[in-house]
Amino acid sequence: MDAVVEQIAPEAQEDERIGHIPGNRGIWVGIFCVLVEFTLLFGVYFIAKAHNPDDFRAGPDTLVTTAGVAITLFLLTSGYCMVKALAAIRRGDTRPASLWVLVAIVLGMGYPIIKYLEISWYVDNGIGGGVFYGTYYYLTLNHLVHVSWGLMGLIWVGARTALGGYDAEHNSGLEAAALYWHTTDVIWLAIFPLFYVLR
Amino acid sequence: MGKAEKTWLLLVVLTLVGALLAETSGAGWPLALAVAGAVIVKGGLVIDHYMEMSRARASFRRALYVFSGIIAVMVLLTHEFGETIERITTIY
Repeated sequence: MDAVVEQIAPEAQEDERIGHIPGNRGIWVGIFCVLVEFTLLFGVYFIAKAHNPDDFRAGPDTLVTTAGVAITLFLLTSGYCMVKALAAIRRGDTRPASLWVLVAIVLGMGYPIIKYLEISWYVDNGIGGGVFYGTYYYLTLNHLVHVSWGLMGLIWVGARTALGGYDAEHNSGLEAAALYWHTTDVIWLAIFPLFYVLR
Repeated sequence: MGKAEKTWLLLVVLTLVGALLAETSGAGWPLALAVAGAVIVKGGLVIDHYMEMSRARASFRRALYVFSGIIAVMVLLTHEFGETIERITTIY
C-alpha cells in the first residue's frame, strides 16, 4: 500500500498545484509594481530610440556583447538553481534546497561583478555619452538595483532554509523570493536584446 | 533530462543565438522580428516553467505575458513607425 501511495503521490501533488499561485500576495503586488515601473522605463527607451535612431543603430556595436551574454547566462542559471531549490524543499529536502539557494546567490553575484567590470571598461576607454548610453545606464542600473534587492531576498531565504525555516508544506517565503528573482530574469531578457542586439 | 533542465538549455541556446545575431546582423525587419520573438519566447519560458505559471491561474499568467508582449509590440512599432512616434512625442 505504501508503495502505491509513493507512486501516486507525485501526481497527486502535481494535481494539487494546478491553479496554485506560488508565493504570497505581498510579492505579487511587488512584482506587478516592478513590471509597471519597467514598462514605463522601456517606454522611455522606445521614445528615445524614435528620436535618435542613428544613436541607437550605432550603440550596440560599442557595447561588449560578451558581458551581456555572461550576465544573461549567470541570471538564467541562477534562476534554474531556484527552481531546483523549490523542488527540493517541496520534497522536504532542506539541505539540498539550501545548497541550491547558495549556488543561486553565488551565480547571481556574477551580475553586479560583470556589470562593474563592463562599466569600468567603458569609462576607461572613453566609451559612452549620447542618448543611447544615457538610456542604457538609466535602464540597466535601475535593473541592477532590483537585482540587488532580489539577491538580498535570496540571502534571507537561503539562511531561513538552512536554519529549517521552510519545509515541504510551508515554503511560500522561498517561493516568493524565487518569483521575484525570476521576474528580474524576465526584465533582463528584454533589456539584453534591446541594447546589445537590436539596431 | 527534466523540464527545468530542458528550459534552461533552450534559454541558453536562444541567448547564444541572440549573441550571434548581435555580432553579425544589421538593422532591418528580420532583426526586429527576431528580437520581438526572443523577448516573448524567452520571457514565456521563464514565466511558464521557472515561475510555474503554466499551471497557475490564467489571469496571472496573462498579466505576466502582457509585459513581454508590450515590449515585443513596441520593438516592431518603433521599427516601422519610428518617425510617427517621434512626432507624437515631441514637445514643442
